[in-house]
Amino acid sequence: MTIAGPRLSRRMFMASTAAVGFSGLLPHVSFAAEPARGGVLRYATLGLDTADPHRHTGSIAVQQIYAEALTSIAADGSVEPFLAESFDISPDGKTYTFHLRDGVTFHNGDVMVADDVVANIERVKSKVTGGWLASAVKLVDTVSAPDARTVVLSMHEPYAPLANLMSELWIISPKSEGWNETIKTPLGTGPFKFGEWQPKVKLVAPAHTTYWRKGMPYLTAVEADLRDDVDKGLALRAGDLDIAYIKPDIAKQLATDPNFKVSPLKDAAWFFVAFNNRKPRKPFDDPRVRQALSYAIDKNAFMKFAAAGGGVVTNQMVLPGNLYFDQATHDADAHTKANLDKAQALLKEAGVDPAKETIEFVSWQETYPQVIVQMVRKLGFKVNHVALDDIGAQKRLGQYDWDMNCMSSGPRADIFLRYVRLMSDGPNPVLWGGIQDPDLDKLIKAAVAEPALDKRKALYLAAWQRVMEKYYVVVLGLSANQIAMRKVVQGYEPGFTWSPNWGSGGVAQTWLAD
Amino acid sequence: MTLVMPARTDGKARTRFSVRAFLPAAILVFMVAVALAAPWIAPFDPLDQDLLALNQPPGPEHWLGTDHIGRDVFSRLVMGARTTLLVGLGGAFAAFVFGAGFGLVALSLGRVSEAILFGAIDLVRAMPGVLLALLLIVALGEGVGPVTIALGISFAPFFAYVARAIYHREAAKDYVTAAQLFGGDPLHVLRVHLAPNLIGGLVTQAAILLPRCIVTESVLSFLGLGSSPDAPTWGRMVAEASRYIELAPHAILAPVLAIVLLTLSLSFFGDNVRRTLDPLREEAGS
Repeated sequence: MTIAGPRLSRRMFMASTAAVGFSGLLPHVSFAAEPARGGVLRYATLGLDTADPHRHTGSIAVQQIYAEALTSIAADGSVEPFLAESFDISPDGKTYTFHLRDGVTFHNGDVMVADDVVANIERVKSKVTGGWLASAVKLVDTVSAPDARTVVLSMHEPYAPLANLMSELWIISPKSEGWNETIKTPLGTGPFKFGEWQPKVKLVAPAHTTYWRKGMPYLTAVEADLRDDVDKGLALRAGDLDIAYIKPDIAKQLATDPNFKVSPLKDAAWFFVAFNNRKPRKPFDDPRVRQALSYAIDKNAFMKFAAAGGGVVTNQMVLPGNLYFDQATHDADAHTKANLDKAQALLKEAGVDPAKETIEFVSWQETYPQVIVQMVRKLGFKVNHVALDDIGAQKRLGQYDWDMNCMSSGPRADIFLRYVRLMSDGPNPVLWGGIQDPDLDKLIKAAVAEPALDKRKALYLAAWQRVMEKYYVVVLGLSANQIAMRKVVQGYEPGFTWSPNWGSGGVAQTWLAD
Repeated sequence: MTLVMPARTDGKARTRFSVRAFLPAAILVFMVAVALAAPWIAPFDPLDQDLLALNQPPGPEHWLGTDHIGRDVFSRLVMGARTTLLVGLGGAFAAFVFGAGFGLVALSLGRVSEAILFGAIDLVRAMPGVLLALLLIVALGEGVGPVTIALGISFAPFFAYVARAIYHREAAKDYVTAAQLFGGDPLHVLRVHLAPNLIGGLVTQAAILLPRCIVTESVLSFLGLGSSPDAPTWGRMVAEASRYIELAPHAILAPVLAIVLLTLSLSFFGDNVRRTLDPLREEAGS
């Protein structure tokens, strides 16, 4: 199978956009006007944890301004070639051959060759521990460069998500400062260079003047605002930002303002309730109690609140229309509305008096978990709600001394990156309660190793059915993250993931009208 | 025998009616009464959410409107008075115990214990109160108890310094020397003779610090470090409503006005207490 690109029809793009969020509030993307050159784009979505792209810990938006990969994720979620102009997958799913694009240069002027790509893959394999990328690359038996523009990866077992995951294996020049330990000044191939970085404050990224996409970028620089304590909606309205990630309720306000365009990421964040699956205490180890708690939740009301009227109520981790969405499972969802009578009956059957139980409830410092907490209280439970910042929440969840949480997880380059968190040895499984289930592991591993799409989908679905039956995790619904931009921003449309730069879109082709 | 130096001699001044003295006291009494009777006054459960009535303006059903999760602002304001006053008063009391209590005992036991304790207090004093409280909450955990203790430790130096100043002033006076000559041990002299003369200055200090404790509690709640995230406190109400200030100004106005009213009343009240009890001002003829 050979995949080449880039390609994205406007019809496909519009169709995928309509599936999520404020579908009636689509932006008016200009395709006709001649791009103007110059200007600094002020951009604020996620933060930047590290200057070393191979060691990212979750915030993977900003670094894609200066670092690119062999593949990227198109707006419809499919994988498309990027630094590779095409790639082949052998019929047995074990060998991937990437054909590199001609004329790609690093920010120091060196031409990117196959040996550079091999060095990056080897670096991730040998120097990076933890994370889904590291576990994927460890399945690689050999990686070779038969010529300057060809890279061949041989896996010892089929691994279907690889092409998508390669979109997060950023190719950096081995001459980058700190290559042998932690990269301090990455020399990527992106449309903008890694310029001046003030952690938690900003990154100024000047244009890469010999960028491989001819005539691009149009902007002089991108200035990424990395502060996480600013009201981005307010900054946008004040003219301090050009593009920003905003909360759904603010998005709803800005969508009616003619000075702004609001558009969703094309993949959605999923909201869920998870139980402590690794060290559950009584009575929360009883599936009947978990089921009762799930019946206390009014998913419709929750999603209307969490997504400010947008969003989709479902019991799956992907949106309707996604390849892995199963309509029959969606239709059989027993928890779309609260049923307190049924919940009380289940508690009685389990011999639980909710008035005598206190639920240790952990969440981020967001508003939406308070909605779930109050719904659970209606069942008679006392709730000790602990709301923490990201690091605090991860630490507390990792102690497994809690009972229930309510969290959300953002877009991912491949469905496997959602399932891997449910595996016994999965990376960072704390949000999902640290499931320990060998049978579930087997189903997910079988899905990953299955090259045939239909069979893979069936295996993933079987794995998900098990998660639902055991009440490990209860999905509440999905909602797209909203990106707002000033009307002067032209040529930018949010993609499938948080990436601001991909094969068929992003900051490389963005320009400012004034 | 107990020797007490009278704080004031001007009986006329003490009984004279003054709006400046009466109004803050009346507001404080009103707020304490509201806090005590909150469960009977609040028309709704302050945690109850109406997800179909978010950010509603004031009306017949919700007198001060609803917040961003559809909770009744008036009920949260009334119930929040309890937490805010409890933590404020508790913090001031804890600071009194930590600062004045330990400070006076150390002063009574001699110069070595004074040097050690006040060295430690200088270290605490070196850090800004809010920052220290933040660190302590991180160490102790969230909730009303840890916040109260954190406020107590953060503001303890103020009491300790005042206690030391008054102690040294009083300890040099003849009635203390007399008590010592009669064979009273240091703690006995402190308890029976000094304490009654120190208490006026310390109560004055407590009245001055109370509004600072309340404001700090509000700041900590604003930063999300106070009590449980859905528990009604005025600081948290301000923090949560600040995002919706354009849509629902009433939701932020109510707790802000309450905080301003409470802290102003406490400040005036503290000033009045100081005028009434501070022997130094009296001696100076003020």
